[in-house]
Amino acid sequence: MRPSLSLLRTTTFRLALAQAGVVLVFVVALLGYVYFATVGQLNADSDLLADQEYAALDRAYGEGGIRRLNQEVVERAARQGPLLYVLAESNGTVITGDFQQLPQMPAGAAERVDFAFERVDDDGNAIRGRARGQVGRLLNGPILLVARDLGDSALISGRITSALWTVALFGVALSIAGGLFGAWLASRRVEALATTAQEVMAGDITSRAPVRGENDEFDTLAIAINAMLDRLQHLMQVSRTAGDAIAHDLRSPLTRFRQKLEAALENPPNVDADREALRVALEEADSVLDTFAAVLKLARVEGNVTWRFERVNATAILRELVDFYEPAAEDVQRSLKGEVEDGLYIYGEPGLFTQAVSNLIENALKYTYENGRVEVRAIRRADGRIEIAVSDDGPGIAPEDRDRVLDRFVRLESARSTPGAGLGLSLVAAVARLHKGGLHLRDGLGGQGERKGLGAVLVLPAMANP
Amino acid sequence: MRVLLVEDDAEMAASLKASLSADDHEVEVAGDGELGHSMASGGGYDVIVLDRMLPKKLGVSVVRELRDQGVSTPVLILSALHDEDHRIEGLNAGANDYLGKPFSTRELLARVRALWNGRDREPQTKLAVGDLEMDLLARTVRRGGKKLDLQPREFRLLEYLMRHSGQTVTRKMLLENVWDYHFDPQTNVIDVHISRLRSKIDRDFAQSLLHTVRGSGYRLEA
Repeated sequence: MRPSLSLLRTTTFRLALAQAGVVLVFVVALLGYVYFATVGQLNADSDLLADQEYAALDRAYGEGGIRRLNQEVVERAARQGPLLYVLAESNGTVITGDFQQLPQMPAGAAERVDFAFERVDDDGNAIRGRARGQVGRLLNGPILLVARDLGDSALISGRITSALWTVALFGVALSIAGGLFGAWLASRRVEALATTAQEVMAGDITSRAPVRGENDEFDTLAIAINAMLDRLQHLMQVSRTAGDAIAHDLRSPLTRFRQKLEAALENPPNVDADREALRVALEEADSVLDTFAAVLKLARVEGNVTWRFERVNATAILRELVDFYEPAAEDVQRSLKGEVEDGLYIYGEPGLFTQAVSNLIENALKYTYENGRVEVRAIRRADGRIEIAVSDDGPGIAPEDRDRVLDRFVRLESARSTPGAGLGLSLVAAVARLHKGGLHLRDGLGGQGERKGLGAVLVLPAMANP
Repeated sequence: MRVLLVEDDAEMAASLKASLSADDHEVEVAGDGELGHSMASGGGYDVIVLDRMLPKKLGVSVVRELRDQGVSTPVLILSALHDEDHRIEGLNAGANDYLGKPFSTRELLARVRALWNGRDREPQTKLAVGDLEMDLLARTVRRGGKKLDLQPREFRLLEYLMRHSGQTVTRKMLLENVWDYHFDPQTNVIDVHISRLRSKIDRDFAQSLLHTVRGSGYRLEA
């Protein structure tokens, strides 16, 4: 486990924080809505009522002066109802009304007032509450206050508001806690992957990331990483095998080469024997150089060299190759036949394409028996790709060995005695990949008895007929 | 003939010079591209053998500049990498032939001779070697007046041999020039083609024209 992986810096936690922010914004918006739908509406109603009452009293004052106003206030205050009244002198001394004191001295004409109050009702109970209304100076100084007791509704909306704030705080706290928990869960999975990567770096290529079987994104990632490691492990094994094989393939001719030269030097001078030694040494040197050339060529085809691609008349090249090899096949009592469709074109490098098919033909001729048959068939498939199959009726390759022979330097034990560096099919496969196609092996023409022969199938993207 | 060898590897140059001299050529050696270019510009050589990777100036640049200057001496490029793209680049620059390392000395000698014989040749419509005659327009071959029936491929093979009659022609040269193949077949396929051709042009006649040159290739000679 890596302590440096702080939970607070993880993506999951940041997402949770963002989510908490969203919750907060939502609650504030909800609060606003509830506020306007309850308190706001209540206030607006109260204001309207108080304003109308204030205006009515103002009219009464205008018509009957302070006496009439006082009478009206006394009458109205005596009524049961939500409205509260106060009439005061210009200095604030209360003349009559529901309170002994003005909650607020008005500066001039009518202004809005919102206040908490405490009073004793008719039965002697103390009442606390909030009221809202209008207060102002009338003509010649008296002060009139008309307010509406907001009563229970103010309490209810106040509770709703505080409940919402509580919920909001809980929501934010839960989001953060959930985020921390999620981050902790995710970081455990990430650390498992990181541990695998570190083990691989430390040299254990067989280490694999744990897959929980939950089909989540971490499983997807772990499966992909494991597949990549499988491929890497395979490639490492192949290159190790290739290293051994190339060492073997080069050491044998080099040893014979050295042996010949040493023997020629040790033995008493003899022109004929010396020349023969030189001739053999030259052959061995050529065989080493051929192997090197094949390795270099394969590296260039597999590497990032840019090849000059052009439109290639595959039909013409295939027919010419069959024509080229046919006499050689006949010379060793094999039959070579071509069945190539008209108008097959590919986009590629003609030299490499020619060499790839020639490798397949030479392989087929090499691994068939006397009186064997080799066929080159090229067709345009229904999916628009070109399929070039070089099939023989030789011993074939067991299905379980077929993938392996496409690896570099692999020659099956049965083929160890025949010449070649085991690079032929690798080159064909590499050329196929370079042309965005593929090479696969299947049963061939079917031979005598158990033998099924071998079919090497090159599938390449076709180019449209001009 | 006079051969200019431009090669920076001193041992390689000495060994090639010895081989070319033994084949009756007069050889001068330049150790880098600039020197090679200035020597070649002066003219007086029949064939130039040019390494591809040279200090100071690359072989391909040397050929291109010589051709721009109007020097038409046949050029053979030697390259460590026998690859299609390098070969095409060399030939496009104006080289007449291209040989990948490693090569056999015999291969090099055969190609140098072929270059010399191939230059400044008038377009011909008829070829003849002894009593073997080829009509390039009518696409017919006769020997001693008797018409021979050749496949198109055999015709092209014979045409190449007749154009280079009297010289040794290697299997590689045949592969490259008759089939335009630039890889080494692992089988004796060229020998089989030659033996089929031989059976058509030589079998019924007392004198053999198509000879095998042991270790090198073939020679058509009366």
